[in-house]
Amino acid sequence: MLDHRCLTLTLTLTLPLALTAALAVLGASPAAAQMEHPAPACTAPAALPAELASWRDPAPLTAGRDRKGAAKAMLTPGQAALLTLSRTPEVAYPLRPEKPGGTVSFGGLASFTVKEAGTWRVALGSGAWVDVVKDGKAATSVAHGHGPDCTGVRKMVDYQLSPGTYTLQLAANAGDTLAVLVTRLP
Amino acid sequence: MRRAFAAALALVLSVGAHKGWDWDLPGGVAPPPVPAANAMTAARVELGRRLFYDADLSADGTMACAACHEQRRAFADGNATRPGVHGDPGRRNVPGLANVAWFPRLTYADPHVTTLEAQVLVPLIGERPVEMGLKGLEAQLPRRLGADPCYRRMFRKAFPERDGAIDTASVSAALAAFERTMISFRSRHDEGPAAMTPDELRGLAAFRQAGCASCHSGPLLTDLAYHRLSGVEDRDPGLIENTGRAEDAGRFRTPSLRNVAVTGPWWHDGSAKTLAQAIARHPAAPPTETIASLTAYLGTLTDARFLNDPRLSRPDEACGKRL
Repeated sequence: MLDHRCLTLTLTLTLPLALTAALAVLGASPAAAQMEHPAPACTAPAALPAELASWRDPAPLTAGRDRKGAAKAMLTPGQAALLTLSRTPEVAYPLRPEKPGGTVSFGGLASFTVKEAGTWRVALGSGAWVDVVKDGKAATSVAHGHGPDCTGVRKMVDYQLSPGTYTLQLAANAGDTLAVLVTRLP
Repeated sequence: MRRAFAAALALVLSVGAHKGWDWDLPGGVAPPPVPAANAMTAARVELGRRLFYDADLSADGTMACAACHEQRRAFADGNATRPGVHGDPGRRNVPGLANVAWFPRLTYADPHVTTLEAQVLVPLIGERPVEMGLKGLEAQLPRRLGADPCYRRMFRKAFPERDGAIDTASVSAALAAFERTMISFRSRHDEGPAAMTPDELRGLAAFRQAGCASCHSGPLLTDLAYHRLSGVEDRDPGLIENTGRAEDAGRFRTPSLRNVAVTGPWWHDGSAKTLAQAIARHPAAPPTETIASLTAYLGTLTDARFLNDPRLSRPDEACGKRL
């Protein structure tokens, strides 16, 4: 597991300052404790960093309920999507989420293709649980935290990914829609 | 030392212990007290374990007990504080749950919460702050859980005297029964000095010399008393909130040091990002040059078996079916 202090240093050297501040407080490991940050008081939307530029212009997409549906719900890297989710009992996750939602929550599946190895970020508009799955295994996150204040990005989880197609598992969401953006970090 | 602690614990806590339950305790540790109305049974513990990991216990189905109490962190959380389901900011750091069965005082600063059954209601329906947010939605419990035939069967088996009623009373009783099985007395510290490195032994000596054990005392590594270690904050005045006594301002219960190395961040508000910071904040802090050794010693209190005990982990099946 990456040491928190090392993570802070690494991010400081590689990420824009605002995102560094957002991510540096939390450590690596399962995308667990990512809900620390209380909602800020916002008077106006904040500017988005380049990698989240499409956040406010999401493309509608229906999330899958099973593997087949996940393959159809293909996310375009760098392009935000507004996913329509299903009730949790209707979703057949390929891998049981570490923190599955209750029966009254919502979830869904989508896919994305990694063409270039590197650090990939999953940004969410809520504190939903997220898993990035390939070959039956969940990728271990390398950093996670909240999004920049007043952007609507509630949570961001980073992964080191190699080329291939991945399934995005979303669980324990309070509402039936969820904004999602998957992008490779520069 | 270990024997003396164990004997003291046995003497103090044996009254009221339930005899029919296999506590799987190391030698010399007496079973914890168990309320007569909530006897330990395998069915109750099994139900409580499933409920502990079920997010349907929160208003919108997004937060289980385990969302904040993670086994790998000794059932603490990696954040300073956690907002509730509706985004209300958390006030206090999530405490670990090791050995809570032996705690006659639960929560950081409310002396009225003396049983796990009562404590469960704090996150479940509490409003200061709202955590799981079930206040006013209690009637949804039987609807949500009762929709699952397996849950109905588990409640009937766990609470036959109540005809398997699914309500906050049975949910809190089952959760309390499960929490009483969160037992951690098998760290290297418990094996004694022979299991420690020279640096850890130096830390142990510093621990004793600095008087840490005057509050972090006994087998539980806490005196369970309320102390004021820093100034009173408006945001969280501590014990005075519940007692109204001026002298209780800024007082919080001494946390157990069991598994302390994995329960960070520390302090009642999670404001100490490292153990060294937490140690240095004590009024009679040990000399700076001993803090590294002290931290190493505190690492011997980590009970790897507890952190990985499959009996405490999220269940993969119920009623013979995969969850």
